[in-house]
Amino acid sequence: MSKPIIDIKNISKIYQMGSQLVHALRDITVTINENEYVALMGPSGSGKSTLMNILGCLDTPSSGTYFFNNTNVRELNDNELAEIRNREIGFVFQTFNLLPRATALKNIELPLVYSGIKKYERIEKAEEALRSVGLEDRMEHKPNELSGGQRQRVAIARALVTSPSIILADEPTGNLDSKTGNDIMRLFQTLWESGNTIILVTHEEEIALHAKRIIRLRDGLIESDEINNNQVKF
Amino acid sequence: MLYEIKESILLSFEALRTNKLRAFLASLGVVIGISIVIMMGWLLGGLDKAMQDTFSIIGTDMLYIDKWDWTGNDNWRSVRNRKNITQKQAEQLRKLHGSAEYVIPNINQWGTNIEYDGEVYQGMTAVGTTAENAFTPVGNLLLGRYFNEFEEEFGSNVIVIGHLVYATIFKGENPLGKTIKLNGRPLRVIGVVKKRGTMFFDFIDRQMFIPLKKYSAIWDVDKKSMSIGIKAGVDNNLDEVRTETIGLMRIIRNLKPNEPNDFSINETKAFEKSIETLRLNVYMIGIVMTSLAFIVGIIGIMNIMFVTVTERTKEIGIRKSLGAKKRSIWLQFLIESSFLCLMGAILSLVMCSAIAYFAATYLPDYFPEVSFLLPVLPTELFIISTVVSIFVGLLAGLIPAIRAARLNPVEALRFD
Ligand SMILES: Nc1ncnc2c1ncn2[C@@H]1O[C@H](COP(=O)(O)OP(=O)(O)O)[C@@H](O)[C@H]1O
Ligand SMILES: [Mg+2]
Repeated sequence: MSKPIIDIKNISKIYQMGSQLVHALRDITVTINENEYVALMGPSGSGKSTLMNILGCLDTPSSGTYFFNNTNVRELNDNELAEIRNREIGFVFQTFNLLPRATALKNIELPLVYSGIKKYERIEKAEEALRSVGLEDRMEHKPNELSGGQRQRVAIARALVTSPSIILADEPTGNLDSKTGNDIMRLFQTLWESGNTIILVTHEEEIALHAKRIIRLRDGLIESDEINNNQVKF
Repeated sequence: MLYEIKESILLSFEALRTNKLRAFLASLGVVIGISIVIMMGWLLGGLDKAMQDTFSIIGTDMLYIDKWDWTGNDNWRSVRNRKNITQKQAEQLRKLHGSAEYVIPNINQWGTNIEYDGEVYQGMTAVGTTAENAFTPVGNLLLGRYFNEFEEEFGSNVIVIGHLVYATIFKGENPLGKTIKLNGRPLRVIGVVKKRGTMFFDFIDRQMFIPLKKYSAIWDVDKKSMSIGIKAGVDNNLDEVRTETIGLMRIIRNLKPNEPNDFSINETKAFEKSIETLRLNVYMIGIVMTSLAFIVGIIGIMNIMFVTVTERTKEIGIRKSLGAKKRSIWLQFLIESSFLCLMGAILSLVMCSAIAYFAATYLPDYFPEVSFLLPVLPTELFIISTVVSIFVGLLAGLIPAIRAARLNPVEALRFD
């Protein structure tokens, strides 16, 4: 039996919009194990990002329990949450979210700075991460000197550099053309095959089909949660 | 941690460079505040030096018994009604005094004219005194020698001139052996006193010293009050000498036990008091102005830091998603605001150094009163400005930094 990394039970998230309550998530229960490749599918507004933020310890649920690597996340303070984000979670965002003034290498170094790793080791690891996404010749480039696909690769390298337990990607191909998007999906497949655990948030069927398991959300509820028997592989 | 600090400093520098004008305007209050602190320190430094110079003129081991109170602190009306201190009384004190090293009678003739080489020079001061005056600060000569006991005894035609007398009359020419005329009496110049005058005592370089006997041959001694210089001596206790002096003077002046002293004891201590008052005034004005400038300065910096935090909301969200703790975030903004203030302090130091240099170099030519100004800022001002500016930066950055650290990461990431 493989090890559960994420174990959520009866998670709800309620936002207050003026006098109106928005139920972004209702009673979600999911377990995700090591080295799974999961797509969170659903139309816009179905609660995918909300769920991903909770899974990534950026946000807290209104109710329900969340065990991350057997730790009850509710019991962690701000610093401990920051440490989990730093060591255990790698985020990839639709808009890349790179620091515009820093070079590719510096961007990738940043999570290692926050884990207090020494300079030479940081550079070594950051260079290795850049190589693994095929950008070793773009180390000193700033984000605005890179193409969209290259920026997303830098972001993926940054997510990988701390060897996290899980990679959370929120619409990682949303801002890319389909060819570049395909390259990124190929990269995710490689990462999965080399042992990483990946949760991919998307509203596109095509993209979701690359994953091994697809969880469909609608109006904050899980509609279905099945193994993808038609997984598209490169 | 160290790396984070280094990165934050680089980042602050970067931010400052891209927004020079904004940073300058924001730190203007701090620049003004620090500049006031620097200028105040500079003025006080100059005053201190002037005071030291004044002390060396008066002599820290000297007491001067006089009808007049030199600091002007005593009631002027009662001072004016005092009887003159006569030559006889001065002689009595000299004979009776046990604890003092020297007791030196002095008598001043203000506004004396000098004739030399067919020209008349006005506004000098002739001082009749004894040879022992050579052992007081006046004995510090630039050229020649002081008159000795024999010349004093015989009332010889010799004169020791002050530096301004020398500069005015001889204009660099060797004065020794030259004859000048006081009230028509020819006197041979045997010495020149070193320049001593300061802002408080510029008249002192106009003095000319002649034997007391010679003085009484030229002017009527009994018309004037004497001033008696008393040198306590290095090892002697000034307090003991003062006590004995007061006791003896009261006897000599025939005072009844219930009568107040009808003479003043002038000494450096009295000047310390009036300088202290001056210092205090400079301090008070400086503190009020500095506080105002710093309040404005802190508001300016705080404002700009709020703007910076807002502009960097997205960046804060990214950093938090990568595992930055609150500490890292507030540290970054505290460093940035301190850095901004530090730059302000450096700007102030550069500006004030230039002002100090030019003021001290050129102003005294037009306004001799400000000759006490120092051309170089005292070293401690550099340290004080640095520390104060960093402190102000921390203070001003505190609330914006805390706000940044508290930002909700999800909302921060959504910010554009
Ligand atoms: N901060 C918020 N305040 C109020 N409502 C929100 C907030 N964030 C998300 N929502 C609402 O929650 C629902 C789910 O949003 P989201 O998780 O972003 O959906 P998705 O990523 O699937 O498009 C939406 O109806 C959205 O309007
Ligand atoms: Mg979304």
